[in-house]
Amino acid sequence: MEATATGVQKLLEIPPASAIALEMTAEHYFDAVQGILDVFAPQKKLDAVYVTATIPSKSIIGALTTLEVDLTRTRFVDCVSRMTMGASERDDRAVYVESPTMLETVLLKVEFLLRKLGGAEAVVVLDSINSLAIHNSPRVLSEFLLMLTNHLRARGAYTFIFSMEEYASEEIANILNLVTDDVVRFEGP
Amino acid sequence: MGSSESAAGRNRCLTGIDGLDNILYGGLPRNNAILVTGSCGTGKTSMSLEFLLHGAEEGEMGIFVAATEPPEKLKENMMPYDFYDPQMLEKKQILFIDLHELYKKAKTEAPEIDQKGSEALIKAIVGAVRSHGAKRLVIDSITSICARLLTADLIREFIRGLSHALAQEGCTALLIAEVPAGEHRYSPYGVEEAVVDGVILLGNLERQGDLLRTLQVVKMRGTTHSRAKYILDLTSVGVLLAPLLKGGG
Ligand SMILES: Nc1ncnc2c1ncn2[C@@H]1O[C@H](COP(=O)(O)OP(=O)(O)OP(=O)(O)O)[C@@H](O)[C@H]1O
Ligand SMILES: [Mg+2]
Repeated sequence: MEATATGVQKLLEIPPASAIALEMTAEHYFDAVQGILDVFAPQKKLDAVYVTATIPSKSIIGALTTLEVDLTRTRFVDCVSRMTMGASERDDRAVYVESPTMLETVLLKVEFLLRKLGGAEAVVVLDSINSLAIHNSPRVLSEFLLMLTNHLRARGAYTFIFSMEEYASEEIANILNLVTDDVVRFEGP
Repeated sequence: MGSSESAAGRNRCLTGIDGLDNILYGGLPRNNAILVTGSCGTGKTSMSLEFLLHGAEEGEMGIFVAATEPPEKLKENMMPYDFYDPQMLEKKQILFIDLHELYKKAKTEAPEIDQKGSEALIKAIVGAVRSHGAKRLVIDSITSICARLLTADLIREFIRGLSHALAQEGCTALLIAEVPAGEHRYSPYGVEEAVVDGVILLGNLERQGDLLRTLQVVKMRGTTHSRAKYILDLTSVGVLLAPLLKGGG
C-alpha cells in the first residue's frame, strides 16, 4: 500500500468503518492525538475510545486538559498504569487493563466503553502497534487486530492504529497491511 | 421488542447476553434445562441474574431459586446493571424464592431426600413456575439439592424429572452447579451433565501470569454452537465475551 502524506484535514475524508494505520514519527505523535480527539471526533460527532499501551492515560488526559480539549465523549483503555496504581490516582474516564498481554480484555473494555458512551458512532485509537508488539507475538497481535478491526468495522466505527516510524519493522508492516484498509503517513497537524 | 414473536423467538430464548446468543447462533433452545457450571467466583450467579433481567425486559417472568445467598443480597447484585429497573421486582417480573421455602412446601426439610421427597420437590418447584407463569428459572444451586439426594440414580432422576416438567411448562432453566476449583469435571456428582440439555462451563484461565475468566458451551441440544473458549468480563453493561486468542499456543 502507498503511504500518503497527511494531516488531520485529510483524515476527515476517510469513510466510516475504515481501519487505518497512521504512520508517524515521534515529532508528530501529539499532533495525531490532538487531531483525532479535538478535531476529528468532535467534527464527526463521534464517541472516542483511546487505547494506550504507550504512556499512562493520566499523562494524555493531563496534556489534553491543559490544551482545554473537551474529553466528555472520550474514554481511555489504559494498559500501562496497571492495577498497582492507587485508587485515588484513577480517573473515571479510564478503565485499566492489568497487562498489555491481556488483548482479549482490551477488546472487551473497548466494547464496554463504547456501550457506556451510549452507542453513537465512534472512533477507536490504538496507541500503538509498536508498544503491543513488545509484549505480544506477531501471531497473537495480528489475530487480535483482525478481531478488533472486524468488530469495529461491523459497528461502523473508525479505527486508527498508531505506528511509530522509529520502531518500524517488516513484521509490523505486514500485520498492518493485513488488518487495515490503508496505511497513512501522518505529518500533521 | 418483537423478537419473541418471530419464528426464531418461539424456538429460542434469548439470554440477552449478545456474545452468548451469538455463540448459540440465536439464544438458548427454548424449554431446555442448562447446567451452568464452574468453580467459585467464575460468574455463574451474575450471568444467571442477567438472564432473568433480560427476560423481564422481554416481558418474560423469571424465578430465581436461591439456596446459598439471601435474596436481598442478590437483588443488590442486580442494581448496578444499566438495564436493571426496580419495577421488575415490584411488578414481580422477577421473583426470588428461598429454596428452604420449597423444601418446607415439599416436606423435604430433612437433610436427606428420598425418591418420594424428590418428586415432591419437583412438584413444589414446578408449582411455583406454573403459578407465576414463569418462562425462565434459575436454581442457584442445583448442587445444594443434589447434596441431599443420596444416590447418583436419585440425582439423575431428579434432574431428568425436573427438566421434563419444566419443558412442559414452557420454561427455560439455568441450573447452577458448583465444582471445586482446579477439578476438571463438569459437575460435582458427575451425572448432572448427562441428563441436562446443555452445559455452559465457566472457568479461570491462567496465561503467563494473567488471570482470565472463560466461558465455553460444552453441549447444547437443539442447536449447533461454537465450542470455542471465550474470555468473559463481568461489567455493568452485563457479561461481555471475546474469543480466546489462539496465537499458535
Ligand atoms: N457486574 C459486575 N461487574 C464487576 N464485577 C462483578 C460483576 N458481577 C460480579 N462481579 C464479580 O465477580 C465475582 C463472581 O461473581 P459471581 O458471584 O457471579 O460468581 P459465582 O460463580 O456465582 O460464584 P460462587 O460460586 O461463589 O457463587 C464477584 O465476586 C464479583 O466481585
Ligand atoms: Mg454464585
